[in-house]
Amino acid sequence: MKAIKKLAALAIMAVMAMTVSAQNAKLPENITLKSLDGKSIQSNEISNDGKPIVISFWATWCKPCNRELNAINELYAEWQEETGVKLVAVSIDDAKSSMKVKPHVDGSGWEFEVYTDENQAFKRVMNVVNIPHTFLIDGQGKIVWQHTGYIDGDEEELLAKIKELLESKN
Amino acid sequence: MKPTRFAILLLALFMHTVAAHGQGIGGGQVTGNVQIDGQLTRPDSLIGAKDDPERWLMNARADILYTNGGFNAGLRFEAYTPPLPGFNAQYKGQGLANYFVSYANEQIEVTAGTFYEQFGSGMILRAYEDRYIGIDNALLGFNIHARPIKGVTLKGAIGKQRRYWEYGNGIVRGIDGEIDLNTAFSKLEEMPLHITMGAGFVSRYEADENIASSTQGYSLKLPLNVGAGAMRMNLAYKGWSLAGEYARKGQDPNAMNGYIYRKGEALLISGAYSQKGFSASVQAKRVDNMGFKSSRRETGEMLYINHIPAITKQHTYAFLSMYPYATQATGEMGLQGDVMYKIKKETLLGGKYGTDLHFNCSVITGLDTVALGGAGTEGYSSTFFSTGELYYGDMSLEIARKLDAKNKIACTYGYVVFNPVIEGHGGGLHHNNVIVADYSRKLGKGKSLRIEGEWMGSDSHYDSEIDDKRSGDWIMGLVEYNFGGHFFLSLSDQYCYNDGIGNYYTAAFGYTKNATRLQLSYGKQREGILCIGGVCRAVPATNGLTVSLTTSF
Repeated sequence: MKAIKKLAALAIMAVMAMTVSAQNAKLPENITLKSLDGKSIQSNEISNDGKPIVISFWATWCKPCNRELNAINELYAEWQEETGVKLVAVSIDDAKSSMKVKPHVDGSGWEFEVYTDENQAFKRVMNVVNIPHTFLIDGQGKIVWQHTGYIDGDEEELLAKIKELLESKN
Repeated sequence: MKPTRFAILLLALFMHTVAAHGQGIGGGQVTGNVQIDGQLTRPDSLIGAKDDPERWLMNARADILYTNGGFNAGLRFEAYTPPLPGFNAQYKGQGLANYFVSYANEQIEVTAGTFYEQFGSGMILRAYEDRYIGIDNALLGFNIHARPIKGVTLKGAIGKQRRYWEYGNGIVRGIDGEIDLNTAFSKLEEMPLHITMGAGFVSRYEADENIASSTQGYSLKLPLNVGAGAMRMNLAYKGWSLAGEYARKGQDPNAMNGYIYRKGEALLISGAYSQKGFSASVQAKRVDNMGFKSSRRETGEMLYINHIPAITKQHTYAFLSMYPYATQATGEMGLQGDVMYKIKKETLLGGKYGTDLHFNCSVITGLDTVALGGAGTEGYSSTFFSTGELYYGDMSLEIARKLDAKNKIACTYGYVVFNPVIEGHGGGLHHNNVIVADYSRKLGKGKSLRIEGEWMGSDSHYDSEIDDKRSGDWIMGLVEYNFGGHFFLSLSDQYCYNDGIGNYYTAAFGYTKNATRLQLSYGKQREGILCIGGVCRAVPATNGLTVSLTTSF
């Protein structure tokens, strides 16, 4: 009997997943994030005047995340000029290291917007399992591409996806 | 999760109806993620890997989230058949672990079902999960967030806490308020000093029970309601920031503190200065009898209502994190400092691309206490500014430099002093010196190479009675090759060449495409401690094949 109920629950989940398209999910609303000076913002306030946005989940202690953000930071001015993209880095550092986020960002010389998601509410609704996890969001707030992990050179694939998005809009 | 089966079915049906309808009006969407980690184990007496009769051990979970405007509903299915080595055996089983519905608009957010919550830095309440260390103390109940005016957030939470596949006896109730002065008062909007303040209160109710005081020979008169309160403030002025939180807890005799009646307190202060290319930060904390659980008899990793963060740096290199520090919620004092500096590019020391320096150091001690008695008494007294026994200390310096467009190198020196008392056994302090070299090279389209070498010299010697297999001097090498844009192959070996035991080799292969990742690895895993956010779990030695699949959609 127990097994049947479990199977039923699984079946319901599977049917739900199939009946509703998961394509191009929208950015969740009303999740509170904090800016580096302690100000609260809602997730739907993340915007870039109709141009693409990259959201990257990271943490101060995550080596590949830092490699990814350093690599993007070096190219960021170029990318902005070329595509108008905006990078939003969301730190999942908890109370252990959340006070080190601003020093870490400034110390690394990063030029992009950074928010903290201390108890990982935003990470959960974005279905992030491991970090780094990077999303490409179009001008309407829809997730058009996502990628997990970072190996050297992955930023080139991201740039190609941003350009692809811009071309498909034209 | 027996009592809720009916509710789950109702919820699932409701979600499906709404989901199908949502698609009709074009508003609803389903997202989710799946993670499966399995291990085919082989016994290995040399490293102490156990013979698991099941052979195939697995942790698997799937989250499904339905969203339609402000309406959300979610389910999580988990299966531990049986759990991977190191996870508590009580996780064994499968079923729906989480289920909730929530509604949110600009002013209010209400959640019914399982939820996670944190007040301030979490010193009086933090319901969270960390799947890698097997912690999930989700609350089952109601959660409200209200934003009555801009800049003000009020939170309320009530529920019982998850304990593996059941819920704890205690009821947890909490309220919290936070005000961002610069947003709340338009006159302060342009002020360069940014001020936020907050306060919270949490109370736990647990029915009376009979707990005898072993020394006095009578039953303890237990407080049924235990309260904890905290106040916090955060100041930011240009490059400067200062944050502090102070928490107190009422009398809470419990199994962790030996049923003493001393009140608890904790203080956490951080200060930082940063500008582009330079930052310095300092953190200090003092924790005294602040372990707060929703069941007074609980001792292990579960049913924590609060979370006291460790302030030591979370090291990522294998040997620097070999002896990690775990928060001692019953009592500790700590100080941590961190400096980052970027030597400008096109200078003598900075080179063509600049050079990054990162220095950190920390020291953690116990409290200086005077014993006053056992269960049923005040327990002990302590002097606020006086430190006790050394628990942990570390310092590290990392120098990272991009050599040219293709080559990068990072070198780290670290020193760790560790007191095994915090892991519950003696043997005196361990002093370890660690050197790491980490080199990476881009090899053209979709190809790159990373080579890491580590050395650790230690004054610890292997003792068969304590059986700490981390003892001795170690050397390690790792080669990682990424190719085709999506694949990686890595080989590594950790070898103890002096005063200890062990040779741990691993080969791993992985494939990543968009948000899906598959990894296979074969080899031996050293027993050790895995820590995330100052919460640690022991990872036993294992030998065998590990398969890991994650995907998000």
